[in-house]
Amino acid sequence: MPSLFGIAWKNIRRKRLRSILTIIGIALSTWVLVSLLGFNQGYESSLNKDIDNLGFQVLLTAKGCPYEAATLMLKGGTGLKYMPESIVDTVKANPEVEEVTPMLMHAVFDPNKGEEGGITAFLGIDPVTYPRMKTYLQFQQGKWFNQPQALEAVFGYEAAELEQREVGDSYLLPEADVEIKVVGVLKRSGTQDDGTIFLPIRTLQKVYKVNGQVTSVGIKVNKSTDIAKYEEELYKLPDVQVVSMAQVKQTISNLVATARVMVMSIALIAILIAMVGVMNTVLMSVLERWQEIGIMKSMGAMTSHIFKLIWFETILLTFVGGVVGSVMSWILATATDKLIRSVLPYSPTSALVQIDIILALKAIGIIMFIGIISGIYPAWKAARIRPIEAIRSTEGEL
Amino acid sequence: MSQPTAPLISIKDLHKTYVRGSEHIHAVDGITLDIQEKEYIAFVGPSGSGKTTLLHLLGCLDNPTSGELKVAERTVYSEKAAMNERDLTKLRRELYGYVFQKFYLIPTLTVEENILLPFAFYCKPDAHKNAQHLADLLGISHRLNHLPKELSGGEMQRVAIARALINKPQILLADEPTGNLDSKRSAEISDIFSKLNQEEGLTIILVTHNPAMAKSAGRMVELRDGKLV
Amino acid sequence: MKRIGILILLLVIYTTGIYAATGCDLNEPDRDVKRLFPGSTGFKTSYVSIQQKGGKALQTKIEQRLGDKFTGMYETMDVPYTVYEIYKDKQGIGYIHGVNQKGQYGGIQVFLALDPKGVIKTLYYQKMTNQSAKAFRSDTFTNQFKGLSMKDFAAYSPVTGKQDGALAKIKNPAPKAVQDFRATLRGIKKNLILMQEFGYTK
Ligand SMILES: Nc1ncnc2c1ncn2[C@@H]1O[C@H](COP(=O)(O)OP(=O)(O)O)[C@@H](O)[C@H]1O
Ligand SMILES: [Mg+2]
Repeated sequence: MPSLFGIAWKNIRRKRLRSILTIIGIALSTWVLVSLLGFNQGYESSLNKDIDNLGFQVLLTAKGCPYEAATLMLKGGTGLKYMPESIVDTVKANPEVEEVTPMLMHAVFDPNKGEEGGITAFLGIDPVTYPRMKTYLQFQQGKWFNQPQALEAVFGYEAAELEQREVGDSYLLPEADVEIKVVGVLKRSGTQDDGTIFLPIRTLQKVYKVNGQVTSVGIKVNKSTDIAKYEEELYKLPDVQVVSMAQVKQTISNLVATARVMVMSIALIAILIAMVGVMNTVLMSVLERWQEIGIMKSMGAMTSHIFKLIWFETILLTFVGGVVGSVMSWILATATDKLIRSVLPYSPTSALVQIDIILALKAIGIIMFIGIISGIYPAWKAARIRPIEAIRSTEGEL
Repeated sequence: MSQPTAPLISIKDLHKTYVRGSEHIHAVDGITLDIQEKEYIAFVGPSGSGKTTLLHLLGCLDNPTSGELKVAERTVYSEKAAMNERDLTKLRRELYGYVFQKFYLIPTLTVEENILLPFAFYCKPDAHKNAQHLADLLGISHRLNHLPKELSGGEMQRVAIARALINKPQILLADEPTGNLDSKRSAEISDIFSKLNQEEGLTIILVTHNPAMAKSAGRMVELRDGKLV
Repeated sequence: MKRIGILILLLVIYTTGIYAATGCDLNEPDRDVKRLFPGSTGFKTSYVSIQQKGGKALQTKIEQRLGDKFTGMYETMDVPYTVYEIYKDKQGIGYIHGVNQKGQYGGIQVFLALDPKGVIKTLYYQKMTNQSAKAFRSDTFTNQFKGLSMKDFAAYSPVTGKQDGALAKIKNPAPKAVQDFRATLRGIKKNLILMQEFGYTK
């Protein structure tokens, strides 16, 4: 016994190529949608993880001091401002502070880098506290320094690659002409640490004669601490600037919001295209079957039957397209990740696009809803066909 | 049959006027006619004389412009009232089967599914039994699992007839059912119609250009310019 | 506050991870190409790796021609080499290609400007860490390589460091830095072999 659903299904299969093209269109839209939803979901958690990876919630620098290697490079290695090392003890005195680690950034002009020379930046760290804060750093080779004053260096992976350094190799500190030993090469972390050359802070202070000075202090507070309040406290210290990671996160989120709007618009366009595609396909199929539908009506089909019939077709198309698109987005998740990374101003390290079954179902639901909406007009059009018109006419018209 | 029963279909001064620009075409121009139960009536006449239009009116497929149309003692159209689309559909389901010159089979459905198509919209018990009976009667039992495109024209029309009869209608409406068939197939369809009328007691309203087929009808009515001759 | 925002932006750009072996690019291609090929009007950049051009078999062949094994963590099959094809109008007038070579105190980036036949026009150290880097980078030293090509390096063995033929004349400009002198010769030879094996020069 034929059912409306069966008739709809068979009709989709009748115009195979057209149905496939429509399904591909819907699948693409679903892919965009799933990826977008996955992005919304993945981005936040990924960002949080990155911030946690920084190891400290608050960074203290001297007022006006660039605190990142990138800034330093752009400024040509100038503009470093120092704080006395004693600040570490001041900060540590607060019981809310769990751990403090002093850092010294130092930039050196190396005349043999490029045609006109270039800047090499070093980060002096405390071999005891720093590794404890940055537990996520892993070694490709070797380990951290032995002694606070050792003439030793640990290279971030990219720095090591550039300098072709392995554990046991020598390295010449530019300007100072001091030879040091490479004792460790870090694995890639996807962070700025990859490009950093780490030295014991004492060594760096001594070699470049900046004794007793630090450029920044990383602070880790107890879990229960109200960070915002604590930051206020820190501002009472003279001549410091407080960079809180919460703030960093906020800024990044704001930056990304713009990108998100862009991605959303793309998704919206994709959805509109799918909608028009569905509407077009179903409308075409209504027009082609003008007479068939008229005959069905003369055979006792109610308006609602015809409406349902055409609607089923739409739903089937969108359902198949939605499922194909979800599977596709799951398979292409890595590629999508790369694509989104290329668009975003800042991408966290771990997966940006997190797709799971609930999300896929959600997307299929949305796409089907859109399909159902786009199917209304053609279905209504078909339902209104009067049997006599269809039988009399040879071709339907809009 | 001495007791005069009410006619199955009764029309009075029925008009159907098409307006094409400033021109008014009186396709059906004041026809009064009764059709009795189990009658086999054939409309003949030159092309454009209004046969199809009249048939559609009798079949409740189209609304007249004026006049009165009663089917099975129900008023389908009069000066005062007209049935709504929903009731019309129900009436068509209950009483009518339609066959057209073009067969209008659904190409994606098998012969059997095409025959059973009306039941996609409403249910009648014993449908399958009737289907088998009709297929045997029309000689298409061996074709039930084929698609329409695999059939000959004669076979397609038989399928269309089976579909028209699946709901056990009282009235079969046929507009030039042999128009697309050669003389041999036409004769076969003509025989089927006679048989349906005589053996099953089906009321048949036929429009045809085929003189032999028209002769096999119990009553032949000629039309010219929308009027009975 | 605003300034912090900007700083964060920079941090953010800097943190974006790249997960492939890095090759050896010119720092400022536009300027460097003009300097190494003063008459040029344009250039095309392509990336090739041994992996992509022939894999393990090609690496073995290159090692055989080089007379030395690939060493260490960084000299691998999947290093992308950047080849700059230089044009004067539509005419190809040569190539620039650099390799990373492990030196005593750091990576040495040995760039060669080659004519279309593979003859060295210029030797350019983009980067070198060494007390005597100045001597190596001086014209007096680098000019000696002008006119040399693969055939002059064919017999050179990076393992023994024995210099024959045209190479015999080239002296180490910094006797203290024997390692980097030999690294230079190895780098140049590898550079020339790669250019041939990648199909750019004959
Ligand atoms: N939908 C329509 N609009 C306008 N004129 C029509 C329409 N249908 C039929 N006609 C006209 O009505 C007249 C009767 O047509 P029809 O009933 O089809 O005649 P027949 O079936 O006898 O050939 C013809 O002149 C035809 O042109
Ligand atoms: Mg007609």
